[in-house]
Amino acid sequence: MPISRGSFILSTLILLALGLFALAAVVVSNVWLVQRTQDLVTEVQQIRRLRAATVDLRSLLQDAETGQRGYLLTSDEAYLAPFRQAVERLGTQVETFTRAADADPVASRLAPSLVTTAQTKVAELQRTIDMAQAGQVQAAVEEVRTDRGKELMDEARAAFRDIIEEVETRLQSINARQASSADALWWVSVVGGLFVLAVTIAGMATIFVYLRQIAQTRQEIEELNASLEERVRERTSELGRANEEIQRFAYIVTHDLRAPLVNIMGFTSELEQSVATLQGFVDRHDGDENTTDLEAVRLAAREDLPEALGFIRSSTRKMDGLINAILKLSREGRRALKPERIDLKALLAASAAAVQHQVSEADGEIAIDVRVPNLVADKLSLEQIIGNLLDNAVKYRRRGVPLRISIRATSRPGGLVDIAVEDNGRGIDAQDHERVFELFRRSGQQDQAGEGIGLAHVRTLARNLGGDISLNSTFGQGSVFTLSVPAHPRAVARSVAA
Amino acid sequence: MTDNAKSVTIIMIEDDEGHARLIEKNIRRAGVNNAILPFSNGTEALAYLFGADASGEVSKSRSLLILLDLNLPDMTGIEILEKVKSNPHTKRTPVVVLTTTDDAREIQRCYDLGANVYITKPVNYESFAHAIRQLGLFFSVMQVPETT
Repeated sequence: MPISRGSFILSTLILLALGLFALAAVVVSNVWLVQRTQDLVTEVQQIRRLRAATVDLRSLLQDAETGQRGYLLTSDEAYLAPFRQAVERLGTQVETFTRAADADPVASRLAPSLVTTAQTKVAELQRTIDMAQAGQVQAAVEEVRTDRGKELMDEARAAFRDIIEEVETRLQSINARQASSADALWWVSVVGGLFVLAVTIAGMATIFVYLRQIAQTRQEIEELNASLEERVRERTSELGRANEEIQRFAYIVTHDLRAPLVNIMGFTSELEQSVATLQGFVDRHDGDENTTDLEAVRLAAREDLPEALGFIRSSTRKMDGLINAILKLSREGRRALKPERIDLKALLAASAAAVQHQVSEADGEIAIDVRVPNLVADKLSLEQIIGNLLDNAVKYRRRGVPLRISIRATSRPGGLVDIAVEDNGRGIDAQDHERVFELFRRSGQQDQAGEGIGLAHVRTLARNLGGDISLNSTFGQGSVFTLSVPAHPRAVARSVAA
Repeated sequence: MTDNAKSVTIIMIEDDEGHARLIEKNIRRAGVNNAILPFSNGTEALAYLFGADASGEVSKSRSLLILLDLNLPDMTGIEILEKVKSNPHTKRTPVVVLTTTDDAREIQRCYDLGANVYITKPVNYESFAHAIRQLGLFFSVMQVPETT
């Protein structure tokens, strides 16, 4: 099942959140359960303390009674030892008991009366012992026989039993609660752990599937890349072949067009000679009487025929020019380039010198600024491009303005060299910036001879060099033609090979 | 063509009849009066040069000069050039290639195959006429061997 990037991130996040939530729940409930267990333990300790205090107090009272009984029976002071000890410890024991009883509702309710009963009992014991020590043993026994002491003791025993029973009940309930909380702890840990485990496994599975998908996709991309390069190569060679075919086509077409044109021009020439003969004849018979026939022949020989021949001539001449232009371009495209190291400064200076005469006539000057370390290109092509641009700059200068031409050569990142030819001529209207590079198209005022071939030729040359030419011009102010060519002919070699 | 001027026949193999006519006119204007035999396709020209058996025996003891266009409807002029220059009877016959092609490789190939002169037809008629007249003048002074 394919996983999209978005759904992968979402599902991973959800799983992560679920896992985190489950973990947090487990931790919180564990902490709570442990806290509860701790509370129960504290409670158990309190209850144990209460139980112990209760039992101690009871045995204390019994000890005291046992001592009194022994002494009353034997009048031996030695039997009083337990009683004395009990009386001595009673204060602290009562205090311990009262403190422990505070934590228990039943015990704290029973405690005050129990304490009073215990103290009354001890006071009663003390009184009988005092009587016996004063020699009134009989009176003391009488006192015991009143059963007041026994009643007090029974009362105390009942209270002790109640408290211990209560304590046992509470201990049992606490045990049960402890067991249930241990169970809960177990379940929470096991269920939570299982859940976290499940979420982790699900997350890992998602990541694994996604990673495998990524690996697969990457492999596909690599394969695509490889085939893409192959396709680019194929297309390039296809384009190269198509280009070659077009050039061959242009070459063949122009040749085949030329053959009939030679005939037209040839026989026009022959016709002209015949017309000359005819005119001679007409001229010789100028003095003859004017018949209508002769008048018509005269008109044909002197006006109609020369006019028709003139049109045929000018048209064929024009067609001849056009065919030659196409032929030149196609030949240029077929010419094998010879890349060589070029001294650009010298080349530009030579090109400038070629038009120097015309520039001087226009009261102008050419500035050359070369900042290019080296350039390897086809020299003839470069010369033709620069020559064409300079010719144009001279040809389309503004009348009455001293001509200023500047040629700048600069290096550009990417191994390119820019050669900019700037003039202060008449400029080219923005809408014609692309059009001027087309074959047989011209721009602006048509006051100069030309067929609209130069810039088309320049562009073909520039592209053959692996570069291009661009135009930046403001109508009425001047133009900048910028030729960009690779500084090294690797790209050129490739385009020629293709 | 001075000594045996009358006997040399100019074989003109040119598919464009207009061109053939213009060439003939201009050669005549140069004062060349030799017989001109025009052929508008390669097959007929070969039949004339090498006979029905294609052996070339028929050209024995003929004095010929061949004006050859390379673009023919049924074959290329190169084929004809090859045959002429490889046949023992016609191999010494001068061949002037007169064609529109100015491709450097084509020119080289023609000379390699033994063409004696290669002329590109000028596009413009004045130059064309001029070139043919010059050729005519050239013909009038050149020697043509009799084929053996």
